[in-house]
Amino acid sequence: MWLPVLALIIGLVLGFLSEIRIPLEYSNYLSIAVLAALDTLFGGIRAHLQGNFEDKVFISGFFFNILLAAALAYLGVHLGIDLYLAAIFAFGVRLFNNIAVIRRLVISKWSESRKKS
Amino acid sequence: MNRKRRAVFSGVACILGLMLAVQFQTTNNPVTRDTRDTWELRADLEKEKQRQQDLNDEINKYQALLDNYEQSRKKEKIEAMQQALDDLKEEAGLTEVSGQGIVITIEPFNEGEMPKVYPELIRRLINELNRYDAKDISVDGQRIITTTPIREVNGETYINNQPISSFPIEIKVLSDDAQKLQNKIIASESAEDFVRENLYIDSKPENQLTLPAYDKPIRVKYMKQAKEEL
Repeated sequence: MWLPVLALIIGLVLGFLSEIRIPLEYSNYLSIAVLAALDTLFGGIRAHLQGNFEDKVFISGFFFNILLAAALAYLGVHLGIDLYLAAIFAFGVRLFNNIAVIRRLVISKWSESRKKS
Repeated sequence: MNRKRRAVFSGVACILGLMLAVQFQTTNNPVTRDTRDTWELRADLEKEKQRQQDLNDEINKYQALLDNYEQSRKKEKIEAMQQALDDLKEEAGLTEVSGQGIVITIEPFNEGEMPKVYPELIRRLINELNRYDAKDISVDGQRIITTTPIREVNGETYINNQPISSFPIEIKVLSDDAQKLQNKIIASESAEDFVRENLYIDSKPENQLTLPAYDKPIRVKYMKQAKEEL
């Protein structure tokens, strides 16, 4: 369980040290991509807790969601509609759902283990 | 959690962290695109050049000021040391001094046999002169300093390792109050001693006397340089 956290910290440090900056025009895409990545990560954790986790689904979902979100935002810019709001909405709702499920699972596991002991 | 799953999670977390960091940096200090055209760039360049010139001028000004300060400080120190050195030299008798004083001449009292001027006589006279507030003394052109030897060598009297010349022997004494000194000399014990040795001393005040400098090296036997303070 610690390895992913460590990897997250390594990623953060790498990002800060490399001082990569993208132009302001593209920061919208990146923010949506970040949201998609977060959603996928929490979805993966939920699937793992529920016992129906699959590597392929997880990895493909990760990249596909990011690309889809970015593409949606791009399309929205060109169509003159704030389509990225749809992505934010969808991912936001799913993120909350996933976190709620994770919370319930963790709590039930915890109370179970307490009953046993 | 098996190994593969852990690796997948880690990879995704790493990418997410990277993206987050980039996003943070972008939103905190975004890359602003340069949209200036040639003329604007030229004007800006000119402005920056002017600024550089101004800053250089300022640096030069302060550098000059700093140099000035340092130099004056050094100069002051050197001057003070020079002053102290000069004072010490004067006190030690290494410089010519002049001022008012008296000239004492020693001559034989009677014609005929040449009397001898014993070093003891001169020594006593000098002691007496010093007692009467004499500042600087020279005997027969030899400046008397703290370590001046007056002694007899082979029947001759030597001062500063130089034999004294024939009569009249001149003793020059500097004093703040020449008249008083002269009076004291006339009534001094030394004068009587000289007479006893068939010598006659005569003194007369002078307004402007110049005493020669002590011209031999001063040998310091027992003093050592103090340890330099850090």
